[in-house]
Amino acid sequence: MKSVQLQASELNLDEVVEKYRTVVSFKVKKSLGTQTPDWEDVVNEVMTQVIEKVKKGEFRGESSIGTFIYTIASRRIVDHIRQKTKVLKGIPEPAVLPDPCDDAEKRERARVLAEAVQRLKPKFKEVLDLYYYQELSRDEVAKRLGISPRRVSERLNYAQKLLRKMIRQ
Amino acid sequence: MNKCKFEDQIDSYLLNKLEGGDKDIFEEHYFNCTSCFRKMEERNELITAIKARGAWIFKEEPVPERKSLVPTFERVYSYFTPRQWATVGISAAVLLVAVFGILPLFRGPAPQFYLSETEVVRGESLSLISPIIDVKMAPSFFEWRELGQDVEYKIFIYNQKLLWTASTKETRIDVPEDVKLMMVPGYKYSWQVRAFSPKGALIAVSSRVQFEIKGTE
Repeated sequence: MKSVQLQASELNLDEVVEKYRTVVSFKVKKSLGTQTPDWEDVVNEVMTQVIEKVKKGEFRGESSIGTFIYTIASRRIVDHIRQKTKVLKGIPEPAVLPDPCDDAEKRERARVLAEAVQRLKPKFKEVLDLYYYQELSRDEVAKRLGISPRRVSERLNYAQKLLRKMIRQ
Repeated sequence: MNKCKFEDQIDSYLLNKLEGGDKDIFEEHYFNCTSCFRKMEERNELITAIKARGAWIFKEEPVPERKSLVPTFERVYSYFTPRQWATVGISAAVLLVAVFGILPLFRGPAPQFYLSETEVVRGESLSLISPIIDVKMAPSFFEWRELGQDVEYKIFIYNQKLLWTASTKETRIDVPEDVKLMMVPGYKYSWQVRAFSPKGALIAVSSRVQFEIKGTE
């Protein structure tokens, strides 16, 4: 018990919230869709629940903090989908307020990325087209291009490496 | 660096191809694995950009020539106004008519060329027939192909220097006995024929063919 309390007390809640807000946001957006207007509310609820549960000593270190938060997030998402209602009473302000420029920044990054993809050599573009845009399986892409599935993976990886380099420049 | 075993599931997850328990396990994993989450975020950005702008990214490429020629054409076209371009066009047409249509009418007679013995009129070829390979004894005649009527041929036989020369209108010439005696076994000789028009102009020169008199064993 002592060691469990020690584990829980060792947690820096601000750091936990800061680190996991992005992960929880990703999971919530993925589950509800970015078009759902209240996805940020769900994220806030999850983070609040995390803080409350840790403070109450419900995190006993039986699992990792990541799994603990994942469980809370999953349940909250299921509840949200069931209720389809907002339950926001008594929710404190989020530790990190969402940046209003976030969307604009993301749009700009997406534009830069799309332009970089556009500049790739045809052999890389066609793989990205078939695999990510047309969502063919690796084997289907391989068959379509007359190359091995392994070569498809290599081209996908190399294309992403090139994109990283192009965006950094 | 070891690759996380869940990395291969990133694409499947983002493209909604991961279902049921596999999806739950993967989600729990990225809550605990910073490396996978970072890679997934990056991949998600790429997939989102591709999904949003795929129609533009993967549209048919324009023909490269068109890309480079159109701006050039526009730049050149902008040098003059349409009226100036019309003037340029008419001037060019007049110039072409003058150069290729009218000027040739006033051209004088073609100049006469006279060839020296070392010159040749290109286009005519004079082929040698015999001898063109090594022989056992001094050849008794030399033969070549006919080039035309009334053509005079002049044959030249050399060892190191000119050994014998003669003219004929035939395409074959017999070698006099005294010349044959000068052509001894074990030595190399060469020969060449030049063709002259009835007016004496050189019209063709054969290649110089070498042969050796091997002698009888």
